Amino acid sequence: MSVTVARPRFRLEPYVEFAKVAMAKEATYRFDVFTSVASVLIRVYILRTVWVALYAHNAAPKELPLHAIITYSTVAMLMSLVMDIDQTRVLHDSLHDGSIVLDFTKPMRVPLYFIANGTGEVLFHAVLMLPALGLALLFVHIDVPSLGTLAVFFASFLLGYGVGFCINFILNCTAFWTLEITAVQFIVTWITDLVGGELVPLLLFPAALQNVLLFLPFAAMFSTPLLIYVGHIPPSQYAVALALQAFWLIVLAAISTVMWRLGTQRLVSQGG
Amino acid sequence: MPIVETADLRKVFRSIKRRPGIGGAIAALFSREYEETAAVDGVTMSLEAGELVGYLGPNGAGKSTTIKMLTGILVPTSGTVRVAGLVPHRQRLENAANIGVVFGQRSQLYWDLPLRESFALLRSIYDVPHERYRQNLAHFASILDLESFMDTPVRQLSLGERMRGDFAAAMLHDPKIVYLDEPTIGLDVVAKEAVREFIAQVNRERGTTIILTTHDLADIERLTRRVILIDDGTIIFDGPLERLRSEYGTHRTLVITLADSYPDVRIEGAHLESREGNVVRLRFDRRRLSAETLIRRAMERYAISDIAIIEPDIDSIVRRIYREGYTENAIGSPS
Repeated sequence: MSVTVARPRFRLEPYVEFAKVAMAKEATYRFDVFTSVASVLIRVYILRTVWVALYAHNAAPKELPLHAIITYSTVAMLMSLVMDIDQTRVLHDSLHDGSIVLDFTKPMRVPLYFIANGTGEVLFHAVLMLPALGLALLFVHIDVPSLGTLAVFFASFLLGYGVGFCINFILNCTAFWTLEITAVQFIVTWITDLVGGELVPLLLFPAALQNVLLFLPFAAMFSTPLLIYVGHIPPSQYAVALALQAFWLIVLAAISTVMWRLGTQRLVSQGG
Repeated sequence: MPIVETADLRKVFRSIKRRPGIGGAIAALFSREYEETAAVDGVTMSLEAGELVGYLGPNGAGKSTTIKMLTGILVPTSGTVRVAGLVPHRQRLENAANIGVVFGQRSQLYWDLPLRESFALLRSIYDVPHERYRQNLAHFASILDLESFMDTPVRQLSLGERMRGDFAAAMLHDPKIVYLDEPTIGLDVVAKEAVREFIAQVNRERGTTIILTTHDLADIERLTRRVILIDDGTIIFDGPLERLRSEYGTHRTLVITLADSYPDVRIEGAHLESREGNVVRLRFDRRRLSAETLIRRAMERYAISDIAIIEPDIDSIVRRIYREGYTENAIGSPS
C-alpha cells in the first residue's frame, strides 16, 4: 500500500498558544513574581551600597565614574529578570521524567514547542522589568542615554538574549546523554555571572584578562549591551560590537541545532 | 486492508558492556565494547481497522518498544512497519495526526493547567475543527463524567480523574488508531470500569482501532477478543482470547477462611496451595471440578466463615506459557 500524504502545513497557532499558556502559568506563581522583583530590588540596593563604599575609598576608574557604574549595575539587574531564566528547562524535565516520548506522539515540532514555552515565560518576566525599574528608581538614580543609544542597546540586548538562550538550550540538550546536569548548569551560571559582566563590569578586570573575556560569548550576554548603555562603547564601534554578538549567536545556534539532532537521533535509536 | 502492519520488525539496542571492577571502569573510558540486545526480534502482525487487540507480555518482553515503533518514536533496526499507510518513523508528524496514546504511567495533560485548557491546547495542536471539537468534548465529558473537575488544574486531580482526562485528550482529534499502554494501572475498581466502558464504546461506536497493553486480565477479558502474546521480543501467541484461556487458564484458586481451627485441611480434587492461619488456598482444575462441587465438599467438612474464588490472572497464564512454552494443545498438561 502506498499512500502519499502531503506534509501537514505549518501552523504557528499552537506555538503561540504554548507561549500564551506559559505566560499565564508564570503569572499564577504569584509569590515567585513578587520575590523575583524583590530580589532584583535588593540586589540593586546592595550593589549600589558596595559601589558607593568602594568608590569612596579608591580612585574611581576613569572609564566608569560612580553614576555610570550604578547605572550599569541597575540595568544589569533588570536584564537578569529575563536573562537568568532557565527557558528550556521543560526539555530537561521531559527527558528526565520520560514525557518527551509523549511530546513526540503529537503532530508538532518538538523544539519549537520548547522554544515557544520558554518565550512565553521570558515575555512575562520582561513585563516585570517595568515595575522593577519604577521601584528601583526610588533608591538609585540611573543615567538615560539618547534614544539612538537606547535603540542600539535593545538590539544588543536581544542578540545577547539569543546567545543566552542558545547556551541554555545546549545545556538542557546534554540531558539527552546524562541527566546529571545540575552541577554543570550551576557552574555555567556562575561563570556567566562572573565573566559575562553581570555583577562586575569587565573593565575592572586586569587588561590581559579583559582582552580575553570581552571576546567570549558570555560577554555578549551582559557586557556588550551594558557597555553600549553606559556609553563605553561609542557609536563608531556599535557595528563591531553587534557583529561579534551576532557571530556568537550564529555559532551557538549551529551548535544547538547539532546537539538537538544528535540528541533526538539517540532518542529514536536508543529510546531515551 | 490491514491498518497496522509489521513484517519481521526488529529493534536492537546497543549498550556499553561493562567490565567488573575499577580496572574495568577505567578501561571503559578508553575503549568501549558494546553488546547488543534485541528488544523486539522479528515481530510480524497485522490488524484490521476497528479491531481491539490485547498486546500482552511480561515486563521487558518488547511491548513498549513495539508501541514506540508503531508511534514513530523509535526507528526500527530492520523490518517494515506501516500504520494507516504511513511509515511512522519517516512520517512522524503525519502519523501523529492519526494516532492517540494513553500511557498509564504518564500524562499528556499539562500539569499546571485546568483540564479544559489542556484540551484547548490539544485542539490547537491537532487542528481539530472547532465544531467537531465542541461535539467531541461534550460527548467525552458526559461519558467520562469530566464536568465536575473540568476547571481544576491537572496536578490537583486524583489518578482516576486524571486518567479519564487523559482518555478524552487522546480521543479529541478522532484518531484512527489508539495505543493504550497499561491504561488502568493504579485505578480503583470504579475508575477501571469507567475506563473500560469508555474504551469499549469508542471502539464500538467510532470504529477506532485499539491496541491495549496491560497486565490486568480483567481489562483483556472485558474488552478484547484477540490477544497477541510477546516474550523475549518474539510473538508466541496470536489468536482469540478464548483459546488462550481454555488452554492455559485451567486452574482456579478457592480461598476459604475457616471458622474453627482444623489441624489438617484436605478436600478431594483440590490441591492445597498454601495456608496462613485460618486462610486456606486450594487450587483446582475447573475442567475436572466445578466450583460449586468444591464449595459443597468444603462446607460439608468444615465450618467456613468466608469464601472467594480467584480466577487465573494473565500473569499466571503467561508465566505458565513461558515455563512450558506455548503448545497448540496444552490441555491435560500438569500445572
